[in-house]
Amino acid sequence: MLHVALVFAPLLGAVFAGLFGRVLGDGASRLIACGFMTVSALISIVVFHQVAIEHETVVIELMTWMDSEAFEVAWTLRFDELTAVMTLVVSVVSCLIHWYSIGYMAHDPHVPRFFAYLSLFTFAMLMLVTADNFVQMFFGWEGVGLCSYLLIGFWFDRPSANAAAIKAFVVNRVGDFGFALGIMAIFLVFESVDFATVFAAAPEVAGSSMVFLGREFDTLTVITLLLFVGAMGKSAQLGLHTWLPDAMEGPTPVSALIHAATMVTAGVFMVARCSPLFEYAPDTLMVITVVGASTAFFAATVGLVQNDIKRVIAYSTCSQLGYMFFAIGVSAYSAAIFHLMTHAFFKALLFLGAGSVIHAMADEQDMRRMGGIYTLMPLTYAIMWIGSLALAGIPFFAGFYSKDIILEAAYADGTGFGDYAFGLGIVAAFLTAFYSWRLLFMTFHGRVRAEPSVMARVHDAPKIMMIPLVLLSLGALFAGFVAYGAMVGEGSGFWGGSLFVLPENDTVAAAHHVPFWVKASPTVLAVAGIGVAWWFYIARPGIPPAIATMHRPIYVFLSRKWYFDELYDLAFVRPAKRIGHALWRGGDGRVIDGFGPDGVSAAVVRLAHRAARLQTGYVYHYAFAMLVGVVGFVSWFFYAIGG
Amino acid sequence: MQGFIVEYLPILVFLAIAVGMAIVVVAASYVAARHYPDGEKLSPYECGFEAFGDARRQFDVRFYLVALLFIIFDLEVAFLFPWAVALGDIGVFGFWSMMIFLVILTVGFVYEWRKGALEWE
Amino acid sequence: MPTVHAVPDLAPALPEVILAVVAMALLMLGVFRGDGSTRTVSWLAVAAMAVAGFFVITGPSDGVVTFSGMFVVDRFAVFMKVLVLIGSALALVMSFGYLRDEGMERFEFPVLLVLATLGMLMMVSANDLMALYLGLELQSLALYVVAAFKRESLRSTEAGLKYFVLGALSSGMLLYGCSLIYGITGATDFAALSAALSGGGEVPIGLVIGLVFLVSGLAFKVSAVPFHMWTPDVYEGAPTPVTAFFAVAPKIAAVALFLRVMMSPFGGLVSQWQQIIVVVSIASMVLGAFAAIRQDNIKRLMAYSSIGHVGYALVGLAAGTAEGMRGTILYMTIYLVMNVGTFAVILNMKRAGAMVEGIHDLAGLARSRPLMALAMGIFMFSLAGIPPLAGFFAKLYVFLAAVNAELYALAVIGVLASVVGAFYYLRIIRIMYFDAPSEVFDAPVASEMRVILAAAAVFTLFFFAYPAPFLAGAEAAALALVR
Repeated sequence: MLHVALVFAPLLGAVFAGLFGRVLGDGASRLIACGFMTVSALISIVVFHQVAIEHETVVIELMTWMDSEAFEVAWTLRFDELTAVMTLVVSVVSCLIHWYSIGYMAHDPHVPRFFAYLSLFTFAMLMLVTADNFVQMFFGWEGVGLCSYLLIGFWFDRPSANAAAIKAFVVNRVGDFGFALGIMAIFLVFESVDFATVFAAAPEVAGSSMVFLGREFDTLTVITLLLFVGAMGKSAQLGLHTWLPDAMEGPTPVSALIHAATMVTAGVFMVARCSPLFEYAPDTLMVITVVGASTAFFAATVGLVQNDIKRVIAYSTCSQLGYMFFAIGVSAYSAAIFHLMTHAFFKALLFLGAGSVIHAMADEQDMRRMGGIYTLMPLTYAIMWIGSLALAGIPFFAGFYSKDIILEAAYADGTGFGDYAFGLGIVAAFLTAFYSWRLLFMTFHGRVRAEPSVMARVHDAPKIMMIPLVLLSLGALFAGFVAYGAMVGEGSGFWGGSLFVLPENDTVAAAHHVPFWVKASPTVLAVAGIGVAWWFYIARPGIPPAIATMHRPIYVFLSRKWYFDELYDLAFVRPAKRIGHALWRGGDGRVIDGFGPDGVSAAVVRLAHRAARLQTGYVYHYAFAMLVGVVGFVSWFFYAIGG
Repeated sequence: MQGFIVEYLPILVFLAIAVGMAIVVVAASYVAARHYPDGEKLSPYECGFEAFGDARRQFDVRFYLVALLFIIFDLEVAFLFPWAVALGDIGVFGFWSMMIFLVILTVGFVYEWRKGALEWE
Repeated sequence: MPTVHAVPDLAPALPEVILAVVAMALLMLGVFRGDGSTRTVSWLAVAAMAVAGFFVITGPSDGVVTFSGMFVVDRFAVFMKVLVLIGSALALVMSFGYLRDEGMERFEFPVLLVLATLGMLMMVSANDLMALYLGLELQSLALYVVAAFKRESLRSTEAGLKYFVLGALSSGMLLYGCSLIYGITGATDFAALSAALSGGGEVPIGLVIGLVFLVSGLAFKVSAVPFHMWTPDVYEGAPTPVTAFFAVAPKIAAVALFLRVMMSPFGGLVSQWQQIIVVVSIASMVLGAFAAIRQDNIKRLMAYSSIGHVGYALVGLAAGTAEGMRGTILYMTIYLVMNVGTFAVILNMKRAGAMVEGIHDLAGLARSRPLMALAMGIFMFSLAGIPPLAGFFAKLYVFLAAVNAELYALAVIGVLASVVGAFYYLRIIRIMYFDAPSEVFDAPVASEMRVILAAAAVFTLFFFAYPAPFLAGAEAAALALVR
């Protein structure tokens, strides 16, 4: 019962706020949504204790969903250690963001709709993480995608928001297509979509091959690659990442909840959940390693030159997701989930902090029009520091533990792919520290660049927003320190059977025995990054523009985000539009409408005209017609019978 | 089929006699009668109207009314002849059938009388 | 042959006898009391129809023949006679206001309607080619006169004249067909014809030609293509209540006659005449659908609409099965109600004391007369055959019959034609509901009109809820026809 309530309380909140929002009014509907969400969060703590600490896996079958001979799917809630971590993160962060949103969205005209979407999203996310089979997971997967679409386009009167929402939806569709194909392939091979059945059968299937696209491939490699395509879309990995920065068009709490803390990590979660499959597909793991490491590096470089405060954090998210993926690629699933958890706290914190800055600066997001406000909003300033320190991996903050274990695992992997990931990860760590402090310095220090009228009203956010921030900052401070031993410590049995690692792939265990310089280098580089940022933006503010002009091609390349959007526009969007336009004008307009509705109606009018003209009004014409009719029938009979 | 057509032979004979009679009568008048033709006599004659002129000319509908009424009662008489001949065979039912027919005609006659169709002015 | 001379049993023909006597009595009453008695004569005529209807319903209905086999009363006759009497009586009631306002209150009008109705009843009961012709001509002669009843109107007299000339031509064709049939078979009695033709074997070509002429004459009476040409002109030219009358009662009687002639004496020749009926039916449906689109006069539009509907009704006949007959009978039932309702609205299209007939005069009716517009909307949707209104079921049953008789092309063309036909019915609805309002029609609507309008709308709207009695009646009537 408790477990069911944990998942369905947000749905109730969404239903109340969404369907009865008009009746209830803003205040009541947001309180209801937040109330249900708080219930869910409190339960998630209890469930975490029961499942993750006491190791009591709970499986609750709610009802049969589909049952057609060979294909059986049930609505089932599965709580094991992995799920417990995820529900805890999702519920707690979502709960805090719900409360924060009360303050942030106070003046919006569509408050009930916002809370309905937010709660609905949480429900879908919880369905995703508690799924016991692939189809139910896909339901949650699509549910969060839908809510993401709705929330990115929440301010539907902005064309850019609509465009971003459509972009997010379409790009995710590419990934979802891969995921769906993967599920179908799983059903084809395993004749089941239940996790337990599929995972149990995985070792036997390993090494067999199947026909895909007319050629023979290793079965599990095909399946896992397809699943990974889905994960790439949802988690914005290199190639399918383009929607994430644009998704910042949504309200900031949405960015914090969906596009930083929870939904985008669904891909990581899904791959970790499927670790029994991925472990037997070493080729896929290599692909994941390369993609993850490249994403981490790529996003960090782009983050260097962004001026929109939310976009910097968005690219940072993208980069951190890359870390999680290459951790998975080197079989360090527990490290990936550990980083997922710490990241959820500090990234939500950063976003909400940025949100309160934006809130204070009269909805200004461009860092070039900020500066010099740290004295005006000290609490936010402190929170941003905590978040940035955690992000950069400065010792004893949350990110330090999780990022280090990932890098160490990559090093410990010992293969060329592991080294590639380690190298790029180290560089990205430096870049991360640099752009984080660039953000801090540009936003809070230096000259005042905002209008005086704006400056006059800059202040710390109200309590309803600050309390969630403080709670999150506790997570950013202590989550790594507290959970390190349990989640990735040597010989810890925390994960039980929920994550599967082949003994020879156990890089997390090996990570504890890497040379000291490997352990120390991320921290050193992070500190160096902070130093360089200080040098560039505080000590010598003239340097960045000088470098930008001196290495103009590089600067443009980075600020254009490696030309991904332009490339996609040229390769996919324009041709698709041209084909669509051609089909619309030529196919639909000329052929279907031309011969269909329009042509038919034109022909009808022509025929009607002629039919009406038959009626001349002359009696002898009428009589003639009658006689012609008779003669026609008679001659027809002569022909038919006599002839 | 043969016998079927033979049944109509009297009609053919009748037609032949009628045509022959008409020719004989017309021819006889040419042969026997005296001829004093003048312009009036030779002009075509049609029901008291000018034979040539505008065909759309209006004339009194009463001519037609009278003609129509005449035809109705003419036909009535035409029905009465065979009825009278066959009365012996068709019995009471035949008699009353004609009586009803005559009553109906009388109703019509009363109607036209009351409506003034028989008055010229 | 002593039986010939015996006095025939008059009981089966009691309704007809009543109408004949009443017609003459009313004529006398009217001619002695003058035109001032028109109201009285009219109501008495309606009462006579009601009495006749009572005797139709209570009278024999199990295939009784009288007048030496010339006259038959079976369930089919009873059902169709009731429809005819309802149609005539309603048309007469609806004409009161019009005749008064147009200064046409002459007592001959109700008398002529009674006589026409009498002719129709005889058509429905005809069991002999001669009886058929007698009924047909009695009906037609009365109709020629009422078509031209508005003597001072050029259009009305033109309509009457056209109808008369073409009607005479069609009567000639019909008679010629009858004489050919008699010449080949030597019989005019339907039972004897049926017996002579059921033997099988080669069908004489002369008989088929006779049948073609007979069908042509009947097709004229139901205004099926290509014998329909008179319909638009007559419907438009005739005074509106006369048009309303034309659209229902004679059409039902002619269709009934059509059914009886094709099924009773010539039921054995289905394969011969089926092709003609299919062609006529298709031509009627298609022409009715297309030609109506360009009409702006509502009476003319209803003329084309009736041509199209006859086409649909003939679909059932073309099937040549009991199911098809049931479909056609049901079709005419529903057609009667829809048309009476529609004409009740048309008869109220009056502005500043004068009738208007353009469909654009209906603009904005939804705002000025919401209830009337609603009723008209129901009738239009129903005529277009949109579920769940009555008109949909009418079409459904005939098309089902056609499909079961394997006349797929006919059914498909029928459905397509009804799609095209929906265009002009929906156009009227659009004009009523979406066009800028024109001037308001005169108030008030006469109470008898209100009752007719409401009853027709309720029937059309809720037919689907309880169609059982109508289905059962049509079924019984169809079974009486198909032996």
